[in-house]
Amino acid sequence: MTGSQGFFERAFLLASLPFKPEALRGIRVLELATRIFGPATSDYLGEFGAEVIKVELPGTGDLMRYVAPEGFYWQDVSPAFLPQNRNKLHVGVDVRLPEGRDLFTRIAEKSDVVVENLRAGTMDRWGIGYRQLKEKNPGLVYAANSGFGQWGPYAKGRASYDATAQAVSGMSAITGFPGRPPVRVGLWIGDFTGSLCSAIAILASLAARRRTGEGQMIDLAQGEALIRALDWTWMYADISGRDRERAGNRDVTFPPSGIYRCADGFVAISARDDAERGGIAKTLGVSTATPEDVASFAAPRTRAEIVRISEEAGFSAAPVQGGRDQYHNSHLRARGTVWELTDPLYGRIDEFGPVPKLSESPGRIKWTAKPVGYHNEEVFGGLLGLSKTEREELERKKVIGKWADAPGARPPHGEAGGPAGGGENEGPAE
Amino acid sequence: MSGFEEWAKEAADPKHAAGKPEALPGLRVLELSPGHFGGMVAASILAEFGAEVIKVEPPEGDPARSYAPEGVSISGTGLPFLSEARNRKFVTLSLGEEEGVRIFRRLAEASDVVVETEGPARMDSLGLGYEDLSRKNPALIYLTLTTYGAFGPDAGRQGKDSDLLCQALSGVPYVTGDPEENGPGEEFQVPTKTGNWHGWFAQGLWGAFGVLAALMHRTSTGRGQVVDVAGAEAMMKFVDYNITWMHTAGRERRRTGKFDPAVFPYTYIRCRDGHTFIAAYNDEAFESLMHIIGRPELVKDPRFCTGPDRTRIENEKALHAILEEWSGQRTADEILREIEEYTSKKSGHAAAVVTGRVNRPIETLSESNWWDRGCFSRVADPVYGNLLLAAPPWKMSGTPPRIRSVCRPPGADNEEVYAKLLGMTGRDLSSLRARGIL
Repeated sequence: MTGSQGFFERAFLLASLPFKPEALRGIRVLELATRIFGPATSDYLGEFGAEVIKVELPGTGDLMRYVAPEGFYWQDVSPAFLPQNRNKLHVGVDVRLPEGRDLFTRIAEKSDVVVENLRAGTMDRWGIGYRQLKEKNPGLVYAANSGFGQWGPYAKGRASYDATAQAVSGMSAITGFPGRPPVRVGLWIGDFTGSLCSAIAILASLAARRRTGEGQMIDLAQGEALIRALDWTWMYADISGRDRERAGNRDVTFPPSGIYRCADGFVAISARDDAERGGIAKTLGVSTATPEDVASFAAPRTRAEIVRISEEAGFSAAPVQGGRDQYHNSHLRARGTVWELTDPLYGRIDEFGPVPKLSESPGRIKWTAKPVGYHNEEVFGGLLGLSKTEREELERKKVIGKWADAPGARPPHGEAGGPAGGGENEGPAE
Repeated sequence: MSGFEEWAKEAADPKHAAGKPEALPGLRVLELSPGHFGGMVAASILAEFGAEVIKVEPPEGDPARSYAPEGVSISGTGLPFLSEARNRKFVTLSLGEEEGVRIFRRLAEASDVVVETEGPARMDSLGLGYEDLSRKNPALIYLTLTTYGAFGPDAGRQGKDSDLLCQALSGVPYVTGDPEENGPGEEFQVPTKTGNWHGWFAQGLWGAFGVLAALMHRTSTGRGQVVDVAGAEAMMKFVDYNITWMHTAGRERRRTGKFDPAVFPYTYIRCRDGHTFIAAYNDEAFESLMHIIGRPELVKDPRFCTGPDRTRIENEKALHAILEEWSGQRTADEILREIEEYTSKKSGHAAAVVTGRVNRPIETLSESNWWDRGCFSRVADPVYGNLLLAAPPWKMSGTPPRIRSVCRPPGADNEEVYAKLLGMTGRDLSSLRARGIL
């Protein structure tokens, strides 16, 4: 272990993490959002210590609660709802009612950030948009996440999902194989990329606010975030008048780099410069390695074998991993990327941890998502100072409320349990 | 109050950005990312918000300038570099010389943030590791971008970080593309990477996010820190519920191509002029869609009655074929119009029928929406000419991001940076240049 390696292992020791401060402590985020593109934005801030208050409709709550992979619920919660809703305080408020809007406004007055992903103009129509809230709280940073933006030709009423963004941005058209249809990336990449972009702008706005005292509105459209992500696509189209072609698994900038089939799956073989290209050629015994040469080299060998050869020969390789590989990967667990959480309500649940690792003020997962309205008392009683009588009155009028008695919304039956499956340690992937 | 849309446009149209303040003025970022696009993205994002980014290149220019897909480059610089070189100052410096290393240390002392993609071990061997740099500048935020990260069992692994390595490890290709059906698959029925460098892009985004979070901490404590981003983990974060599904059910996401394990219809379908996206997966929206395609009886079909029925793979296949019978006769625009006409009379869940053409890049560029929204910028540069850039995606009312410049040749800002920041004279610079240090 080199000197710097020892320093980093100490600086990032997971065992000391709980005793370190949080980067965004003292920042309060009010979320009125569903699905991914909104909830994930505040989740990223919550990982680094922001207090996130998630407002849901009493009863059913965020409809993402019912997006359950193959209909599977675990302890009455969908595993698809958890990853973008950790470390949050869950309250049930019916913002369609005037008194619900009043409650929302009162929380917003005490907040630093609002995150919403309703259709453009809805919040404003309800009297709880940026224009109204900034009158009460000029320092508010208000992130409006949407498919097509708050204004512009497509903004009016046009709904959008992740794949809309993948489609209209041009991302799908450059993904996939020549002569085959365009490919939708098999995950909600527009939602998550957009969510991260939104979180970045919120942090930049908070930095600006320290100087000016003023908040602002952030208008982010997910398709526009993906447009920004397409590197040389636009310049190429503009200069050549042609579309960038789908190139399958080749990286046309770095031939013969690509994803290749091997004996036990698939492997990425990568050469970023002449030295690495030379390393491949030498290993293959050719003067210039073609993709066909590399394919024949990879076919009979395992992923681990190819990675080992690459390290000796001076080029780069990595296995094509799936979720199972990652879940059982000791490196990812040592980094807290696969985060081993013991939740007070659900027991042991392994989550995806924070991506950036900060040595002094690291992110962390403190608890996972909770049933609708789980923190009503804490927020309405504690933060807003409403008496028990006032809260009961609001409940009676159905302004505030908790979960419906349905899978996805309600607490688990019986005791908090451990993992239902997959928890057995099969060791690292390779 | 006046109409919200008019107000929002007036408040957040990027056309007004030039007259407004920036979010991160006075934040100095020193970028050392030779041959590395992820580092450029991280620095670009900070630069779009107003940070002063100084990019350090070797005297012969950054290796990334030679990246030229399809052989296209302008004045010796390829398109990937030009698309991500915005808003910077460009200095040259040889880190192979002790004096070059000393100069880098002085630059780092005068900076708020260092972005490096060489990895901690290499930086340490140059005498530019975090411990070295932070001794003189404890407020320094040190962003390191590598494939596996700066700590953990795989941290010391050899190899040069690339988008492809980040993608492979992330799990994104694993869940993207067509599955094999029966027997040995076709060439395209394989894990499929994204066409763009999304692995590197996500790595850069997380890097910028980490720096901004560290900046919040520094404001309250005065202390800097290390921000470590593994490219492998950047997009891994985006693979939906993979880890929680593994934990709770022992299941992982797999390739499903046109189909989806959780929601359907949510797919691309062929239409007369290409492909379009179609989604209508809650019960009410599905009913709307069946009316739109003239097959209302299918709402009662036992294969499609409920969400779980519709997400059975054989039923997804049947439904996909039914949708293409309808869409094959129409263009993507006609489909959009028919859906909008129907859903404009509905509200709530029943209106959640969503579509959008699968645009080729030139089709995206032909839609006025993106130009009206300021998503693209044409920037004229004296060296590189008239170039089209994807603009910052954020429309912000107070401190909007912006593009100030597209690119500069290697060392174009040597005089300004070394004179102003380090107090070097013309003679110092000539001497350094003569010795190959600049």
